[in-house]
Amino acid sequence: MAETGKLDLVERLTNECIDLCRSVLRGRKLIDPLVDPAFRTERLKRALDEQKTAIGEMEMAVDRIMSAVERIGEIDFSARADAGEQIASCCEEIMEACCFQDITGQRLTHVMGTLGDVRKGLDELAGGRQSANASPAASGLLNGPALPGDAMEQDAVDKLLASGGK
Amino acid sequence: MAVDMKMPILIVDDYKTMLRIVRNLLQKLGFSDIDEAMDGTDALAKLKGRRYGLVISDWNMQPMTGYELLQKVRADDSLKSLPFVMVTAESKVENVVAARQAGVNNYIIKPFSAEVLKAKLKTVLGDF
Repeated sequence: MAETGKLDLVERLTNECIDLCRSVLRGRKLIDPLVDPAFRTERLKRALDEQKTAIGEMEMAVDRIMSAVERIGEIDFSARADAGEQIASCCEEIMEACCFQDITGQRLTHVMGTLGDVRKGLDELAGGRQSANASPAASGLLNGPALPGDAMEQDAVDKLLASGGK
Repeated sequence: MAVDMKMPILIVDDYKTMLRIVRNLLQKLGFSDIDEAMDGTDALAKLKGRRYGLVISDWNMQPMTGYELLQKVRADDSLKSLPFVMVTAESKVENVVAARQAGVNNYIIKPFSAEVLKAKLKTVLGDF
């Protein structure tokens, strides 16, 4: 009887160990997409870089717009015959600066995609459900705005086009 | 031959701000007939319905990108000679090479200045 009790206990402990191992394996599988080096070192790092760059770009755009507005404020309309020209030039400057909305919008879309995948991974961990694959990063030729130091300048693009794209 | 400043121009971008910026800059350069599309699919439908003199397109749009639009334009007998300028933040070498191979007439990196736009349009259309 005592032997049977011991065997039952061993069997129960063994089953619990097996369940525990299965849970660990399932948890590892769920967390895999988030701890994947490609995700951490590439997508998460890129998201942080994108956000930092976007903040810098917004600051530069606001500075450019504010400078143009200040220049308009400094125009002496009574003395300057070319006041209209000065204002037109400032307006053009403001318009060019507004390009930032497109660029930063694309950067923040990258960040949102990465955060969305993190949230999905965490939701699945919390719910204990089987992880679906994280959505792939922008593939093919859809890279979005390049990060500083990683972009071609317009002059280089012109040379490349002139060379026939080789 | 002088550039027809009244020729219809189609600008394609999924950001309304960019459409406004490009439209304003084109108007400042003297172009008056400007249409807008929000992505490649919308643009292609417009290109089938009207004869344009120039397309200025962004790259990164859904569901049809500017690159796919360029390929479709070049594959269409009635559109293949249409001047096509890419204005995009996609500034990797592979993008420029792909666009060039697909037959783009010029490629402008965002953000750009009015001067750059003017210079590139002169390269494509001739002096104006």
